[in-house]
Amino acid sequence: MDRDNKLEHRCLLLENREVVPGWHLLELQAPDLVHASPGQFVQLRVGRLTDPLLRRPVSIHYAEPEKGRIRLLFRVAGRGTALVSGFKAGDNVDLLGPLGRGFPCLDEEEPAIFVAGGIGLAPLFFAAAQRSRVSLPFEFFLGGKSGSLLPPEGYFQAHGIKPRLVTDDGSRGGSGPVTALLEEYLETNKAPLRIHACGPGPMLAGVVELARSAGAAVHVSLESRMACGVGACLGCVYPFRSGDQVEYRRVCREGPVFNGEEVLFES
Amino acid sequence: MKAEPQLALELAGIKMNSPLMAASGCYGYGFEYAGWIDLRDWGAIVLQGTTLEPRQGNPPPRLAETPSGMLNAVGLQNPGIDYFLREVRPRLGELGCPVIANIAGESVEQYRELAAILDGVGEICAVEINISCPNVRCGGISFGRDPAVVERLVSAVRRVYRGPVIVKLSLEAGDLAAVGRAAESAGADVLSLINTLKGMVIDTACRRPFLGNVTGGLSGPAIRPVAVRAVWEMAGAVAIPLIGMGGITTLDDALQFILAGATAVAIGTANFLNPHVARDIKTGLRRYLDREGLHHYSELIGAAGSALHRR
Repeated sequence: MDRDNKLEHRCLLLENREVVPGWHLLELQAPDLVHASPGQFVQLRVGRLTDPLLRRPVSIHYAEPEKGRIRLLFRVAGRGTALVSGFKAGDNVDLLGPLGRGFPCLDEEEPAIFVAGGIGLAPLFFAAAQRSRVSLPFEFFLGGKSGSLLPPEGYFQAHGIKPRLVTDDGSRGGSGPVTALLEEYLETNKAPLRIHACGPGPMLAGVVELARSAGAAVHVSLESRMACGVGACLGCVYPFRSGDQVEYRRVCREGPVFNGEEVLFES
Repeated sequence: MKAEPQLALELAGIKMNSPLMAASGCYGYGFEYAGWIDLRDWGAIVLQGTTLEPRQGNPPPRLAETPSGMLNAVGLQNPGIDYFLREVRPRLGELGCPVIANIAGESVEQYRELAAILDGVGEICAVEINISCPNVRCGGISFGRDPAVVERLVSAVRRVYRGPVIVKLSLEAGDLAAVGRAAESAGADVLSLINTLKGMVIDTACRRPFLGNVTGGLSGPAIRPVAVRAVWEMAGAVAIPLIGMGGITTLDDALQFILAGATAVAIGTANFLNPHVARDIKTGLRRYLDREGLHHYSELIGAAGSALHRR
């Protein structure tokens, strides 16, 4: 038994900052988690009591091995995340992780394309920052409801990311869906490509469709309610194409990053 | 020097280092936690339910959080007994603790066949018959309601399986004591109770049932008092040992079940909150026994005054 491989970590919260209304950035002292891969997540314990009962899965947003720190970025979506948004610097945060499988092939030379919808930027930011650090080429497309609901440019530039933006209301960047940016890019760039996407289901379905017509590889990070987070309870499954059958795979274990071609998105 | 309080037991011949068991359906095949958790903290692990044929399980969403509880509607997703024998069985020895198989069928014949296949499988030290799953249309709970059906089903398994037979019951059985006695007289060695309680959540924004399967099984601390009562009553109705479960999260919870008459206790949902729950409760139980001047935890079984003695 490899007891050095710890699952549960009590991490000191260094900062809890509201980046944009409803989005919180937690900076944590977590030396055991800094070697997580982009796309992996942690299961965050919301409180010491049993209501709310379950941990919340949160993507790792950034890791700084030199400082032994990680960052988590999440959107307040319900009671659990609302409680987490009230955590204070100095609190101890109980995390399980790093869990799941992250984005593949992040170290390849060919340009990578990241397509993020809203809070879906959380894990892609980590992936892009990693490529930026070793000067590998990439594009970062970001879509959101409104300009004021997305982090300012400086948030990205500090990590060598220059996102191309669109918003539903056109208040920042162009207006329209983020898939339009991808479509435009794929029309003018014919090189073999790899696309990584995270965001709402319909957006991911659109990205996969575009990737298919362009002959690009596509990986999507899925979101699901989870109980165990380690593959034991079979609660977080998503439907996949397996031959002519539907197969349910565990988002927490086989994912959260999957080959987009195999995911059965709701139509 | 004072002797360390003892937790070891033999449950119908299953040698366990403590009365703490991982509940079926909450611990996969054990491997999911094996890289991280020392599985020797468990007296035994009950594997997720196995059926004859592979089962795809229910459509998502399968989980809903409720006050101090959760609903699940997994629907016995599993790769089937052939895959189990080929791929899972050879690795079970790595887990380092006794392993119990949980079987579910859609007919008495299917339960019998599964038990016959598992008879003599050395990696498995007992079978738990699941006649209490609320999430499958045919099988599961529909077998657990009628004492006559339970008696027939358990007898069929008993005839082909030579190891310990555990029967997992649900409160959905109208007359729980009658069902328990039927299982006992058909040759069950142990009863485990309770399985999850059927419930539902409605998504008010969409005005639709939240779960893909509409209903699910409620687990977690929310069901604990109901489960303690069920164990208490069953302890007065049968003479065979009981595995108590339902929302056990802390030492005090485990003690309640033991005091109500359970010989062992199983932990499910609490693993999701605290993956070290077995270690924590085990440590706590030793300290408690030491403090109370008890030599063996079994001195506490049914000690709450118990239906056992009024029988």
